[in-house]
Amino acid sequence: MVDLYPSLAQCAIVATAFKVLLFPAYKSTDFEVHRNWLAVTHSLPVKEWYYEKTSEWTLDYPPFFAVFEWLLSQAAQYADPAMLIVKNLNYDSWHTIYFQRATVILSELVLLFALSRFVKSAPQSTKQLAHISSLSILLSPGLLIIDHIHFQYNGFMYGVLILSIVLARKQSTLLYSGITFAILLCMKHIHLYLSLAYFVYLLRTYCLDPKSVFRPRFGNIIKLGLGVIGVFAIAFGPFAYWNQLLQLKDRLFPFSRGLCHAYWAPNIWAIYSLADRVLISLGPRLGFSVNQEALTSVTRGLVGDTSFAVLPEVTKEHTFALTFLFQLLPLIKLWRSPGDWDAFVGAITLCGYASFLFGWHVHEKAVLLIIIPFSLIALRDRRYFSAFRPLAIAGHVSLFPLLFTAAEFPIKTVYTILWLVLFLFVFEQVAPVPDRPRIFPIVDRFSVLYLAVAIPLIVYCSLVHQLIFGLERYEFLPLMFMSSYSALGVVGSWVGFMVVYFTA
Amino acid sequence: MPLPPSSYRPRKKRKLSLSSSGSNNALIVDTGNDKHIPAFPLVSFLWAARAGVSQWLVLPLILMAVGLFRWAVSLWGYSGFQVPPMHGDFEAQRHWMEITIHLPMSKWYTYDLQYWGLDYPPLTAYHSWFLGKIGTLFDPSWFALDESRGLEDPRLKVFMRATVIVSEYLIYIPAVVNFLRRYTQMHGVPVWSASIALAAILLQPSTILIDHGHFQYNTVMLGLVVASLDAILAGRMLWACIFFVGALGFKQMALYYAPVMFVFLLGICVFPRRILIIRLLCISMVTIAAFTVLIAPLVVGAVSTDGRNDLFSVPLPPLLQALPIELDKNSILYAPLLQLAQVIHRVFPFARGLFEDKVANAWCAIHTFYKLHRFETTLLQRVSLGATLASILIPCCIIFRHPRASFLLPALSTVAWGFFLFSFQVHEKSVLLPLLPMTLLLAGDGGLSKETRAWVGWANMLGSWTMFPLLQRDGLRVPYFVMTFLWAYLLGLPPTSWEIYRSRPSSDDSNSPHEPHMFTKLLHSCFYLAMVAWHVLEAFVPPPLGKPDLWVVLNVLIGAGGFGLAYLWCLRKLLLQWWMIGSKVPTEQDPRKKNQ
Repeated sequence: MVDLYPSLAQCAIVATAFKVLLFPAYKSTDFEVHRNWLAVTHSLPVKEWYYEKTSEWTLDYPPFFAVFEWLLSQAAQYADPAMLIVKNLNYDSWHTIYFQRATVILSELVLLFALSRFVKSAPQSTKQLAHISSLSILLSPGLLIIDHIHFQYNGFMYGVLILSIVLARKQSTLLYSGITFAILLCMKHIHLYLSLAYFVYLLRTYCLDPKSVFRPRFGNIIKLGLGVIGVFAIAFGPFAYWNQLLQLKDRLFPFSRGLCHAYWAPNIWAIYSLADRVLISLGPRLGFSVNQEALTSVTRGLVGDTSFAVLPEVTKEHTFALTFLFQLLPLIKLWRSPGDWDAFVGAITLCGYASFLFGWHVHEKAVLLIIIPFSLIALRDRRYFSAFRPLAIAGHVSLFPLLFTAAEFPIKTVYTILWLVLFLFVFEQVAPVPDRPRIFPIVDRFSVLYLAVAIPLIVYCSLVHQLIFGLERYEFLPLMFMSSYSALGVVGSWVGFMVVYFTA
Repeated sequence: MPLPPSSYRPRKKRKLSLSSSGSNNALIVDTGNDKHIPAFPLVSFLWAARAGVSQWLVLPLILMAVGLFRWAVSLWGYSGFQVPPMHGDFEAQRHWMEITIHLPMSKWYTYDLQYWGLDYPPLTAYHSWFLGKIGTLFDPSWFALDESRGLEDPRLKVFMRATVIVSEYLIYIPAVVNFLRRYTQMHGVPVWSASIALAAILLQPSTILIDHGHFQYNTVMLGLVVASLDAILAGRMLWACIFFVGALGFKQMALYYAPVMFVFLLGICVFPRRILIIRLLCISMVTIAAFTVLIAPLVVGAVSTDGRNDLFSVPLPPLLQALPIELDKNSILYAPLLQLAQVIHRVFPFARGLFEDKVANAWCAIHTFYKLHRFETTLLQRVSLGATLASILIPCCIIFRHPRASFLLPALSTVAWGFFLFSFQVHEKSVLLPLLPMTLLLAGDGGLSKETRAWVGWANMLGSWTMFPLLQRDGLRVPYFVMTFLWAYLLGLPPTSWEIYRSRPSSDDSNSPHEPHMFTKLLHSCFYLAMVAWHVLEAFVPPPLGKPDLWVVLNVLIGAGGFGLAYLWCLRKLLLQWWMIGSKVPTEQDPRKKNQ
């Protein structure tokens, strides 16, 4: 008999109590972004949703998310009608805050439902492991920081993602998995990064015969095709009818932004930028030519075009090529193992990794795109777990710069440390021994060392740096340290997981 | 430390031992067919730890979790936020930091008394001075003399909130953790149950709401009291005296506990077969020495020429006015005497009324039906003194005759309830004092059984409920609901679950003493229903014209009745323990355990 205590619902209740207490906490401009979308969807006809630009935070999510906002706005008028006026920029009355924060908590019920389905879908022997992974996702510090303090609706959308992953577990529900994922794409297009894994898996497992690639199952192809096209038709059809698709494209894919986001998401480009900075000081001695124009650029490393002083420029095409290449590798293996759900989740994770590490203008928030699918399989055995560990540390630490106010500092650090100590310890205890020996046992030593560096680094970045240099001088330094440190962890965990994935 | 995992040794699956001791039976419910379920949600959260996970892991996790809730509450409003000109307790504490760091000690208790003059004992003043010094390092403008009055900088709020939580984690938390370790060992309670009790005690809603929401430093005083209890359990009586003097020196409210501490310390000198004069002398000397150290800086500050001049310039404290003899103003002792008299005058405001505002004690309840204004203050004071003494007489006698450490918690809670109900000048916040020792009972033998949990949980719910009008004024309505519901949920209390009042038909007779009595069930249910109904009334029904305070008065009446019951329950608990000695059954060998 397995003990599933504390249950998901119990954790959700206590976590909800904590989240309600965080109502008055810091909220980023994303709060205003979503308030504006409530106002836009409520007070304008659908035709004008993607043309409205009173606020600088124009609607840039796909139509289903806009519909979701419209649904919320139907309830919002009872909370405070003033928040639904497009001209009320930066409106944040107490009722608005209560309402919007409460919708985040309520919409997270989708995540709770998906996780409980995940636990149910797990075979009896791994039920407890599935339960522990679900708890780690439900209580994730990433979701707490991004959704409940910073303000977004990720918990809801990752709930839909997990639901579609769980539906892919059984042959009979594969069709619904595909449709659910299509719906998710029409809510937040960042999940396009994962779509190749879905495409390959559904094609190989659902549309073709598992035994032979050359025997297509036409019935399935038609069902899936109709389902997915139907979803997209419902989402984009009206806009196509009004000839607005180009406008939607401009809104959804704003390519005018720079390579790195303001805070330098911990990916390859953060390491690249760091190398560039180091070379600026070393360059003259080593005989490199330093691009003086890039050196004086004010926006270096901030929003806008990043230019590198020593290293070659990186273009969008480069990033796409690299992303595609590194997504392709796991997909080959996925193609060759039809019906292997673990390989599917692994491929989703690796697609997430590739797009996060090599993508153009990646947000640090996108790290959840890796962490959440990975959590579902992190407890498969100890090799998976040892690849997961540096990611769990780096991914969450890299979110810290999102919250920079003093009052939220104890919350983000203590909560993350609590989560890391609790779940890394529990994972360590319960992760089963793998069938085959590990290839690089040295990786474990590395990850212990990596963990040990985290605490002095956080202390330096949040306290010591200010004491030494004050608030103004070298303010980029802590951010750079944090993102390079986290980038190292994410890259390390990616390499580790690639090895595990291909040798599993 | 686990071995390097390179060598893949399979983890040993520990056999989950379902210990048969009394306290664990209350936590794990056996539903038959070999299935064990946690008795209430808090047990679920520590379910994985029942196989004996290291305290080095469990304790930090509990402390981090309760710390997060504290800090999250502190994000909300505080007493007196945006209420000029006087603001509230937050401003008072900030103002004391301001005056202590800028003024000489001789002016601390005399400076502009109309604007939050210092009226807490010296240790609070030193504490404020220390925090003020640290705060000045961050931003001197927070504590600029006179200029900073009513300052509401968000960063100042973060600093002040941080001082509360740091003070608590340096004093209250270590004291409670140590006390519980000793106390549970004394009662033979398993470590796992002790962890659950610790989590429950540290999530006590009223303490969190008042200290981290409303803004006060009660946990410093309460922590010193608990440290004193811990020293008593360890047999270090002299340390107990020092800690208790510290508590008194921090907040005069610790006087609620003083009678028990006094008779206990006296009792241990008198009743172990022969009278121990040396022990008595040591205890009194250490107590006097501790008091001397406490006031020494103030006295020294008064002796200097400037200090003398400062003190002579203020009106003579009433305490000295009342003296029949003329004092020599030129004597070197006159200034310190003046200083001390001023401190006592500030700390004990005898001149104020029987009660302030609306507080759920006997006087306020009686006043509702029978106006007490018609009597003179001195008469009321005497009646109040008499009633208080009468209410604390029995527990004090028992403790004096049988100075046992295991009697302390029920005796302290009984006496503190007596003070709360009958003494003079009680604040609604003072309810924290009786609640502390009562809540600590959760860690005792059978403390998490249905009966004790029902009573302690109920008293805490009622306690925070009576503070609702106060908390609501501070903008703490949401934290109030969240924290009380969380406490009720975790401990399996109404309104989230009525399980605690439901008896399981399958359980054998051995459990019956720990099931709540029929009478208890009825009473508690009435109170819970009344509280819920009151909240509905207060939220949706405006009070009738001409009686704007009707809901608050109703709250006070119900609260006073409930606290009276809590007093009786604690007294009954103490009497039962006392009777156990009388009936010659050693308390350590509970008959219930012999059966198993």
